[in-house]
Amino acid sequence: METPIKSKVFEQFNEATRTLLNPVLKDWKKQGGKILGYFCSTVPEELITAAGLTPFRMRATGSTSTEMSDAFFSSINCSFPRHCFNLALTGEFKFLDGVICINSCDHVRRIYDNWIRFVPDTQFVEVMSLPRKTDAAQVAWYREEISLLRGKLEKHFGVKISDKTLWKAIRLHNETRRLQKQLYELRKKEKPPITGSEMLAVMVAGTAMPKAQYNNMLRELLNELSGVEGTGDHRARLMIVGGILDDPAYVKVIEDQGGLVVTDSLCFGTRIMWVEVDESLSDPLEALARYYVADRPSCPRFYGEHDNRTKYIIDMCREFKCDGVIGERLMFCDSWLVEHYMLGQDLKAAGIPMLKLDREYITGGVGQLRTRVQAFLETIGR
Amino acid sequence: MALIDKHPEMARYISELEWFKFLREQTMALIEIPEMQLQVKTLDSLLSMYSRIIDAVENKKPFLASYYCLAPELYTAMNLPYYMVMQTPFLASSVPYLLQDIDAAEEMGLGNDLCTAIRLSIYYVEANLSPLPTCALNLLYPCDGAPLLHEVIKRNKRWRNIPMFAPDPPYYADERSLHYFASELRKMVKFIEKHTGRKLDLDELKKALDNSNQMFRLWDEYNQLRRNVPSPHGWGIGGPQCFSQAWVYQAGTPEGVDWFKKLVEIAELNVKAGVGPVPEEKIRLFWFDLLPFGWVFEFLPWLESEWGAVMVMDMFANYPYTMIDTSSEEQMWLGLAKRNLFDSPMVRQARGVADNFATDIKRIVKDYKIDVVIWPGHMGHKDGSATVGIMRETCRDLNVPFIHLGLDLFDKRYSTPDQIKDKISQFFRAMGLG
Ligand code: SF4
Ligand code: SF4
Repeated sequence: METPIKSKVFEQFNEATRTLLNPVLKDWKKQGGKILGYFCSTVPEELITAAGLTPFRMRATGSTSTEMSDAFFSSINCSFPRHCFNLALTGEFKFLDGVICINSCDHVRRIYDNWIRFVPDTQFVEVMSLPRKTDAAQVAWYREEISLLRGKLEKHFGVKISDKTLWKAIRLHNETRRLQKQLYELRKKEKPPITGSEMLAVMVAGTAMPKAQYNNMLRELLNELSGVEGTGDHRARLMIVGGILDDPAYVKVIEDQGGLVVTDSLCFGTRIMWVEVDESLSDPLEALARYYVADRPSCPRFYGEHDNRTKYIIDMCREFKCDGVIGERLMFCDSWLVEHYMLGQDLKAAGIPMLKLDREYITGGVGQLRTRVQAFLETIGR
Repeated sequence: MALIDKHPEMARYISELEWFKFLREQTMALIEIPEMQLQVKTLDSLLSMYSRIIDAVENKKPFLASYYCLAPELYTAMNLPYYMVMQTPFLASSVPYLLQDIDAAEEMGLGNDLCTAIRLSIYYVEANLSPLPTCALNLLYPCDGAPLLHEVIKRNKRWRNIPMFAPDPPYYADERSLHYFASELRKMVKFIEKHTGRKLDLDELKKALDNSNQMFRLWDEYNQLRRNVPSPHGWGIGGPQCFSQAWVYQAGTPEGVDWFKKLVEIAELNVKAGVGPVPEEKIRLFWFDLLPFGWVFEFLPWLESEWGAVMVMDMFANYPYTMIDTSSEEQMWLGLAKRNLFDSPMVRQARGVADNFATDIKRIVKDYKIDVVIWPGHMGHKDGSATVGIMRETCRDLNVPFIHLGLDLFDKRYSTPDQIKDKISQFFRAMGLG
């Protein structure tokens, strides 16, 4: 599918997605700015911004091998942490001033254990304990986690994170969410001015640059796109659902077959912005804990929320007039395997076709992907 | 009317019961051997557990679905039988229909890279082959598979209306986590009381904990005996049986204490006589996982006969055996939290940060004079497989050989017993072992 976007700002987003240390981050570093990496979108980015650092969501863009990390991970591990840890070992993450890990899944949580032992020159490496449930006791636990992390950041980076700066950061990040949502709104059109792969690039870029600057760029893009007529030569409108997907090229393969991705439930997608942090509370830590544990659209990492997740997906499908759902999953990921197993049944009952795709983190041979998407589009009569 | 006609969900459970009765008969043929007498006792306690669940279903008495690492002494104190939804893979994977059920799970759309124990359990729930309890205590650790299995259970149409509670596991091993988890356990008991009508009597809990403390003390004593060269026992009796008694069939009962006393007695006799499971013990190995229950008889006897390799220690046999202080209610809760979250086998290694993978290897290699550490690399243990570098480094520091196999503990088609034997033989030869 031809991309209609030919703008400078979009090219900057694209560039940020194709690289790790993008030009905006390089400038930030040049000015003495610090960058903190974090795994999984349940780490509260707002806290990092409030500490005066730039949050950077960990990914392994550009990785071509797992040769070095294979001594620490095994062939039954997800390729995302394997590629990431390989880059850590080869020094590609040296631009980071620290890393925050989390027990998001069995594979990714072990990055922490390996990092503290085998990547000795990173000064700040922490791990957070994310609850499995979403009740009040778990929100309270995560509030304490955020509070403890705040203390560690203050101590290590010699900064003060007051409630006031934290609220400022929350407002800034909520603004990002609102702007991103406006872009998604454009995708409800019959001829959206932005494709799914382009939108993914915009989203990924947002996790790799200071938010204030990103928001300005988003505004510019919104200006450029409003009123623009997109392509209408797609065969079907699709929603994509899954875990870590940071490669627009993967979505492009789907779209090149005629399946325009108009919305998603991804953690580089709507799950990180569809809902905002509640600014009406008095305690910013409580607001963040509630948001990350209970309020935002959840992923299968959280127990007891499957029905809500399905409802979210079905509502999204209706809102964006989707003809089908693509469930993508990295091989060896237990969470998304079982989630897609259940979701497939739920969607069938709701009359929404679903295609389940297993993939490797680094998009490789796309022949099979093409064939499966084509067959799917045919079965749904498009 | 036969129970199965009225309760089709009991079909597999009853087949398992029949299977264990058959195994008991086989074992009776060898009753002269003291170890076999103990095996019969083990099977008897297992059969009685099965019978209690069947009785509860038949007579509409309350019973639970729960797990060994969710404080089973509580259920003993409340006189509530429990069974594990993951029971078949954990305790009964020698049943003849196992492979057929694994295939059925795959056909249901569960693929082949999710832990086979989880796949099988999902299959049993979805195919209505798991007993429907009065209420269920769902497990959210030690791996990603456990909460997902219970998400399926929660959503299943036959289970949907069964009350459920799942204690939330913190990731660390500190005081704050201990208090948090103890409070989750307290909530769990309130929940059980509400849905079963049974009250927890603290005196009964103290009794159960005193019994389990005694079992753990005897278990420790038994393991001290396994430090001898030759070890009095190999894979045939030890970790799995001790585990099944202390954590599952006899958690907190006086019968369990008697069982452990008998075990220590038998092991002492072997130590005194200087005998072990093989005529000549050549290799002392640490098997750092569950035993390959789905194909145990095709593999472990070979290790002993071919290589004189004795499994002196395994993952389920060794942990700190922390005693629970029963002097106050607060201490009992904290003790239960600690034992179940920080100490219980597999949870101890896999739930939190990877430190225990290294510390367990260090302690066991030294205490048990281990010649080789085997990480079986079960296809479901994703966190452990992301810890192989740490384990390898630890063994390098200790100067003890380490091998990572790559297998499925339940499905022998993943890596066949012959392939595993070849791999092990090559490694032993290369290391000059045996
Ligand atoms: S899918 Fe969930 S757990 Fe996995 S990276 Fe995304 S937010 Fe984190
Ligand atoms: S895809 Fe699944 S297994 Fe892989 S990193 Fe994400 S949550 Fe973990």
